[in-house]
Amino acid sequence: MVIDAHVHAGFVKKGEISSGELKFRQEVMGLYKTDQIEIGMWRKMMEFGGIDRVFLLPLDVTASRGGCVGTNEEVWELMQDHPDMFIGFASVDPARTDVMDVLEKAFCEQGLYGLYLHPALQNFRPSDEIMESIYMFCEEHNKPVIFHTGVAMEPGTRLSQGHPLEYEETAARHPKLRICLSQFGWPWVREVCTLMLKYRNIYTDTAMLYFDNPKEFYAQALGTDIGPKWIDRSLRHQVMFGSSEPRLEQLRMLRAVREMDMRESTREMILGKNALDFLNGGI
Amino acid sequence: MVYRQEIIRITDRYNQLLPLGQEVCRIVEESGIQEGIVHIITKHTTTGITVNECLECLEDDILNALGKMFPEDGDYYHARFLDSYGAMAGNPTGHLKAMVTGNNACFPVAQGRPLLGSAQEVYLAEFDGPQERTVTVTVIGE
Repeated sequence: MVIDAHVHAGFVKKGEISSGELKFRQEVMGLYKTDQIEIGMWRKMMEFGGIDRVFLLPLDVTASRGGCVGTNEEVWELMQDHPDMFIGFASVDPARTDVMDVLEKAFCEQGLYGLYLHPALQNFRPSDEIMESIYMFCEEHNKPVIFHTGVAMEPGTRLSQGHPLEYEETAARHPKLRICLSQFGWPWVREVCTLMLKYRNIYTDTAMLYFDNPKEFYAQALGTDIGPKWIDRSLRHQVMFGSSEPRLEQLRMLRAVREMDMRESTREMILGKNALDFLNGGI
Repeated sequence: MVYRQEIIRITDRYNQLLPLGQEVCRIVEESGIQEGIVHIITKHTTTGITVNECLECLEDDILNALGKMFPEDGDYYHARFLDSYGAMAGNPTGHLKAMVTGNNACFPVAQGRPLLGSAQEVYLAEFDGPQERTVTVTVIGE
């Protein structure tokens, strides 16, 4: 099974949205020319790429930006309509006054599989005290959390808000909470490797591509910036394939992962098995 | 008189040749124009419009030849983050292949039909699929 663990829900078409709403989503994400993609097109892309499921990540920035780039409701409906395609996550802006109500609904009523947070856009630090109740709720409900880490290209964000070492305290305090530091924390890939080595509840994904083509970028980031065998020998259970579609290049990134020099068993883990483990074994 | 219609196709491969001749003929017939020209142009920069014989061997040869001209692992400038898009540029080969095929074709219309040679097929050439693609067909005449 191949799973893309990093797809932005705000650009998957679920009914018509106004041009103003689309513009809001484009501007928050800094994806100025990206339109929503029809479900039929998504299905075609997934079939062509041999992708069985994608993690659909909404983004609630109601407190920090005044809206959402894909809502929990949209994701839930997409998951209901297309259970063979989508594994829906929830999002909540930690500064909302009704955080716990949103999470209660997302996990207990809507059955969403985990939580997606973007500290640089939602304007919080992972170790903020306000986050503890969110982490505890996720832990109690056995739901993993994906954090946007590493570079954030969204307007108004700061690189310092994406540094992976910000997450050590959270990983240490919550050893049963499965945490994904997305896009390998790039450019801080060594730091993410070190964190994964020490904290086995930390995962990452491959949703990084900011220079060159995927093959060249992965060769640099995962073959030079870190040891070329580090993943295959030591971190093979903690890396998931992710594309950050539509910002990056899903199909070409998938091809690059399929061509990387590693054990076939490791590749199978990266392409799907680890995502299932991250969800605690199933969908 | 000018008559215009769009053909919308969802392609299902990365590189692909899709015959459009029948649809072009249908649009010319629907236009009611008996004498004039028909112009077919793609709205995209990583697709082409090309004319060739509709044989699977030739389709394969054409795509292979273009693939050798512009290998996926080549050294392209168009492999970088584009600020104006906020996204990565990852499709240089599509742009370059489209440059080779060209993006449009034109045929005379006589007695209400395009004057295609017996071996000629009009293709939409996909070089960055799968994607939804739009081709504009304009019939001009009387």
